Amino acid sequence: MVMAVAAGRWAALSQAAAAPRLRAAALSSAVPAVSGREGQPREASTRRRGRTPQFVRSQAPPRTERMAVDQDWTSVYPTAAAFKPASVPLPIRMGYPVKRGVPPSKEGNLELIKIPNFLHLTPPAIKKHCAALKDFCTEWPSALDSDEKCEQHFPIETETTDYVSAGTSIRNPKARVVTLRVKLSKLNLDEHAKKKLIKLVGERYCKDTDILTITTDRCPLRRQNYDYGIHLLTVLYHESWKTEMWESEKSEEDMEEYIWENSRSQKNALDTLLRIKASENVSNVTEEELLASDLVNDYRNSVIALKNEGETENNMSRYKESVKKLLNVKA
Amino acid sequence: MAAMAAWRAVRAVPCVPIVPAVTRPLHTTPARLKTRAARVRGGRGDKAVTYEMAHPPHYIAHRKGWLSLHTGNLDGEAGAAERAVEDAFLRRFLAGTFPGVLADAAVLKRRANLVVVCAVLARVLPPAKLYFLVGYTETLLSHFYKCPVRLELQTVPNKVIYKYL
Repeated sequence: MVMAVAAGRWAALSQAAAAPRLRAAALSSAVPAVSGREGQPREASTRRRGRTPQFVRSQAPPRTERMAVDQDWTSVYPTAAAFKPASVPLPIRMGYPVKRGVPPSKEGNLELIKIPNFLHLTPPAIKKHCAALKDFCTEWPSALDSDEKCEQHFPIETETTDYVSAGTSIRNPKARVVTLRVKLSKLNLDEHAKKKLIKLVGERYCKDTDILTITTDRCPLRRQNYDYGIHLLTVLYHESWKTEMWESEKSEEDMEEYIWENSRSQKNALDTLLRIKASENVSNVTEEELLASDLVNDYRNSVIALKNEGETENNMSRYKESVKKLLNVKA
Repeated sequence: MAAMAAWRAVRAVPCVPIVPAVTRPLHTTPARLKTRAARVRGGRGDKAVTYEMAHPPHYIAHRKGWLSLHTGNLDGEAGAAERAVEDAFLRRFLAGTFPGVLADAAVLKRRANLVVVCAVLARVLPPAKLYFLVGYTETLLSHFYKCPVRLELQTVPNKVIYKYL
């Protein structure tokens, strides 16, 4: 009877290659003990050996049947763990159903085990995490209660990234990159120093936000990259205050913004106006008077706006009006 | 016949050197380039297969999930090859340590340093033996890979059969 039951169970698992071996073991264990033992002890040992395959029969019912509705779920799933069908009291089914069937149930369902679950992160669990972490937190300094104060006390922002991945190594070469950001208005620079600094850094300066961004990754360690970034900032600052001899050769092409004084536009405008006045036979007007006049000022402002800000509707219309007034052209 | 005609045609042109007939017909069957990867070929209806075995690999991400989860295959991440080799070794090790006990493929999850091996076992071994094997596996693999290895088991009375092919 016992052997028949054992044989039936082994047949159910016959896919494994080791089945024949196990079947032989089960049969041999079910055979009564070797002769040479005395009465009662022999019966006890045969009873024990005969019971070997029968542990499969008496399984305790799953934990789900003894779970109260208001139990403490954080003790069932305290940490991240795979899906345990005997611990999760939900009738979940997952998988593609066979034809005219239903998705497979949760017992032995590999699909439910494969997916990451968040059964350990229910709101009560997170509350407990926060309560436990509170002891390790310190208050935000009360003196830094606004963005401006933070910027004022800590003008340089350092940005570094740490990388976490799954594997036996914590090293990631991307973690050595350091980015330093500082607003140029916080640095003590005069006009010449600021222009020189902007020319030195080139692409790293953003005009709209007035932020200089230095990204360093040429050293193998993060600390080295940070030191190098600070060194770069120091060198830039000091170099921009110095005036080299060759800076006096700065020409019109090197200028950052358009300056109307002593430009071709000014010369042309004055020339034109002088000739107009001469043709009208007005008494000699000096250049200073012309320059100070409203017409020329208007024209100057519109040209500067066009060159510095680019062509917009406003700028173009202003230029049109000023030229019309300058040349006394009635619309 | 065709060979003789070809030979005569070649002979008709005086400058072409005479070679013996070079055509040799060969009888072949049409080429069958069927993929055989991870597929259980159709039987008579008596082959029991699990959900994992019943779905060929083109159903991954549609009806099947992944058996091994780690960050190595993400864009810009390193270590994919190392994780693959570790996975292969772990599966062989489990197949050898739990012969006839594994009811389905093992699911390997990696959480930072930790390797979690989720296995579904049939109720073949007594609990004492099972606990020993679990401890043996965890200790040996932890020492081998220098990282914590955890085994999360689930036992089922029999292999969960999805369908018969």
